[in-house]
Amino acid sequence: MEIIQLSWLQLAFGFIILIIPAAILWWFNTGLTGKMFVATIRMTLQLLFVGYYLEYLFEYDNTWLNLAWIMVMVVVADFATIDRSDLKTTRSLVLPIFWATFIGIVLINLFFLELVIQLPNFLEAQYAIPITGMVLGNCLRSNVIGINEFYYNLKENNERYQFYLASGATRSEALYPFFQRALQKSANPTLAGMATIGLVSLPGMMTGQILSGSSPMTAIQYQIMIMLAIFSGTILSVFLAIIFCNRTVFFDNDVLDKSIFKE
Amino acid sequence: MLLQAKHIDFSYGDEAIFDDFNLAVEHGERVVLKGESGGGKSTLMRLLLGFEVPGSGTLEYDGTPLNGKHLRQFRRECAWLPQDLNIGTGRVDEVILFPFRFKQSGNSMPDEEKILDILSDLGLDADILEKEFTDLSTGQRQRVGIALCILLDKPVLLLDEPTSALDEASKEKAAGHLFSDPDRTVLSTSHDPFWLERCDRIIDLDAESEHKQNGS
Repeated sequence: MEIIQLSWLQLAFGFIILIIPAAILWWFNTGLTGKMFVATIRMTLQLLFVGYYLEYLFEYDNTWLNLAWIMVMVVVADFATIDRSDLKTTRSLVLPIFWATFIGIVLINLFFLELVIQLPNFLEAQYAIPITGMVLGNCLRSNVIGINEFYYNLKENNERYQFYLASGATRSEALYPFFQRALQKSANPTLAGMATIGLVSLPGMMTGQILSGSSPMTAIQYQIMIMLAIFSGTILSVFLAIIFCNRTVFFDNDVLDKSIFKE
Repeated sequence: MLLQAKHIDFSYGDEAIFDDFNLAVEHGERVVLKGESGGGKSTLMRLLLGFEVPGSGTLEYDGTPLNGKHLRQFRRECAWLPQDLNIGTGRVDEVILFPFRFKQSGNSMPDEEKILDILSDLGLDADILEKEFTDLSTGQRQRVGIALCILLDKPVLLLDEPTSALDEASKEKAAGHLFSDPDRTVLSTSHDPFWLERCDRIIDLDAESEHKQNGS
């Protein structure tokens, strides 16, 4: 079945539905009405920009161009992670989180695109860009939760961490309970999503594929694969982000550099 | 000298805590620091453990400055009872056993009988092991912390107000265990006459001139 092409007028008509949430948010004086309009405009402009860019990327399908685009996505995710995590945008965090996210994405892409789907070129735009985008979006959310939990829990329970050090723990051993809790917190939303997927929600990728004419079973196979990629990617990137950051945010005496916190 | 602080200057922001402070503790000595709150008693322990860095001066353990590998060696050879008793999370048995899982610490895992004996001496029942540590009262937490310091069996103890929440019977038992080894060096903070009486030397941090004159 051919997908019905949306005209710009039809799309514009779709925006009328925003009257309902805007009215509800305004009536309850939430202060979010303005934010809703800003967010909607940003979402529309960003997606239109990406749409035009992806058309260009898909047309040329150049490996280096695709890689450059992935790097741009990782850099944006890197700064967005720190911005949303209540930590300062310092060199000691920007570089480790960039490398953690980049390595996580590359490993996940290599595994799924090269070994599972067995693409001739694993950076083929049609597969690499959307899958990277989906994994990266989830990595961003998990990294924010994981990094925030790790460093703020450590700040609040600094004496417990220091008690472990004073009982003969290495820095890694003393940080183990904080690591454990950060992983639990960051994994929980994805795990909850996996447990209810298909029953409570139909995921976006699968819906998109079905709308564009794929058979439901093909769409489901891809959706299962993307869920595995998302879960593995998020855990890997949170793990690497904390490991890499820990190499730069502690002094030689194992004391946490508190200048990373926004005060 | 086993522990030494030489000409230590330290301040929190604009508030000076130590100004040319000196301290020397001999091997096997039991020294207690007393003085007003905020006078630097707990800070001195944190300085020795490397959790605060002095503006100037040196801290030494067994004649070697406390930094790098030697600082980590010192941490392996001491047990610390911090004042706020935030020493673990989860069940009490997990809190007690966690430090014995540190591979390079040299801490040897105690058997259950020994743990129960010490807890009993400190007035705690065996069922406390199954409770959440954060649900315990301050007094119970302090007893668990003291039990842990006893079980760690280290040559140096740094005890911050170790008897502040204990009854007389528990104080006697705790002191009996903590002072059982004559070779053990104990540096503590306290205002409790019971504890002060049992230490070899009392240092009053409020009498700053005394520190400068006597080097202690």
